[in-house]
Amino acid sequence: MGHEESLDITSTKTPSIGPFSSRKRRLIKYYLLLLPALLLFFFFFIIPLAVVALVSLLTGNPVNDPDVALTLKNYAKLFSDIYYLDVLLVTLRIGLYTTLVCLVIGYPLAYQMARMKSKNLRTLMLMAVLSPMLIGIVIRTYAWMTLLSDQGVINSTLKNLGLIKEPLKLMYNEFGICLALVHIFAPFMVLTLTGVIGKIDLRLEEAARNLGASKLRTFIEVTLPLSAPGIMGGSLLVFALAISSYVTPILMGGFTIITLPILIYQQISGVFNFGFAGTLGLILMIVSLAIVFLYHRVMSRVVGGVGV
Amino acid sequence: MKRIGWDHILFRAINLLLIGFLLLPIGIVLLFAFNSAAFIVFPPEGFSLRWFKAFFIHPEFMRAFWLSLRLAATTVIISTVTGTMAAMAIVRGRIPGAKFISALFLSPLMLPAIITGLALFQFYVILDVGRTYTGLLIGHIIVTIPYVIRTTTALLYNFDGSVEEAARNLGAGELATFWYITLPLIRPGVIAGSVFAFIVSFDQFPVSLFLVQPGINTLPIQLFNYLKYSFDPTVAAAATVSIALSVTVVLLLERTIGLQEYVKL
Repeated sequence: MGHEESLDITSTKTPSIGPFSSRKRRLIKYYLLLLPALLLFFFFFIIPLAVVALVSLLTGNPVNDPDVALTLKNYAKLFSDIYYLDVLLVTLRIGLYTTLVCLVIGYPLAYQMARMKSKNLRTLMLMAVLSPMLIGIVIRTYAWMTLLSDQGVINSTLKNLGLIKEPLKLMYNEFGICLALVHIFAPFMVLTLTGVIGKIDLRLEEAARNLGASKLRTFIEVTLPLSAPGIMGGSLLVFALAISSYVTPILMGGFTIITLPILIYQQISGVFNFGFAGTLGLILMIVSLAIVFLYHRVMSRVVGGVGV
Repeated sequence: MKRIGWDHILFRAINLLLIGFLLLPIGIVLLFAFNSAAFIVFPPEGFSLRWFKAFFIHPEFMRAFWLSLRLAATTVIISTVTGTMAAMAIVRGRIPGAKFISALFLSPLMLPAIITGLALFQFYVILDVGRTYTGLLIGHIIVTIPYVIRTTTALLYNFDGSVEEAARNLGAGELATFWYITLPLIRPGVIAGSVFAFIVSFDQFPVSLFLVQPGINTLPIQLFNYLKYSFDPTVAAAATVSIALSVTVVLLLERTIGLQEYVKL
């Protein structure tokens, strides 16, 4: 209301303009502010995504093929070939393992961080958890390669100590991929969980303790259920990130394990099949957006909401 | 809380181990960057700066490093200006559909970046423009604008605009009001957003993967290609330089607005 009043005051300075046109002028000004970002997003985000969807439904490349027709063959190809189904399965499995391990290691960290009394210690811990996020994904994967490869730190140390003869298979498999992914995405889990655990009313736990429940029972029956939105939210977030990562699976898998994002890039760089790349991209997009939608549903139930 | 039991100690010990796990790769990278051995050996052999030298005299790494810096700097400027303008319109404009527009601007955060890269690449090919520096720049702007808009709108919602009205009522022009009143109030959000934008652009991989011109790589792509064939500590030195850059940026942030503020957003 105060705003309307002030508009009247400003409009008295320019008497020729009435209240209606001044509002209109105000709107135009804000539309102009919005315009550059909106144009960018329209031409370089919405239209390209629509093109991906369209091309996935065409028989060929519309640029050089004048008789393109609509088809579902790309979708039929994806769901009828065991090779592609296997790629989907591997991708989902890696996502699932990564999520579960992130949850197991993220929960204790988040719990301690949420309950810390000392603000300085809390900041320090936050920095320790967040600092890996400041390093690019290629570099973090490289660090895991130096640790886990056949000539890496762990294998060469064990060999020098005479404990093993053949190197342990720590990478070039799904184990290595999941381990590196856990490291990369654990901070997201910790942040989401810390937000939710920090909002739990401590009096509820005290009440349970006063009524004679043990620490463990209080945790299982009070704290854990109350942190369920954080568990759900963090898991959805990590899962969505894990199934769409490219660098870590390709380097840790030693170019032998194919996940959905790797397959998408292969379709472009290797065989230049736009239609099929679009189909795969669309599938990944739909799965990711469904997960994000669920994430927001879950997190909006937490009072005040939690941003990541 | 008064008495510290064994369970408490065990819990802390586990968390210390977990933090060790999170910090381990950074330690490893630093260790090998300054190690003289050509191979990854443990324990390390001796102190040396030879890998830094190898990095700084490597023409392809240097070209990639400068390209990434230039790209990130340009991205930050464009994303921060257009993002802040859009945030002003979304929060202050009372524009119909503001919620939808805001969701649109944040959606690159939700969408796997590899799809943004794929979509832009297909679009450029269909338009027959191919891969250009401008095309790559646009990709980076699209994925960094959400950070600026998110941090800036958060601060704009924090105050209701009555200060701005007061300035206007006292005769300040619109630009003066923005420059002397609004901008100082939302500055932490704008700075945090642009720092995020810098880091995201500098480390950007999936979008760049599709959009870099053949032979003209950004630093992450160059590192990735190098790692396909070679494993020597030049990468560790490059990593250390990147880490130093990120840490400098964050320390600047800590100095200007404080880390707590930046994490809350």
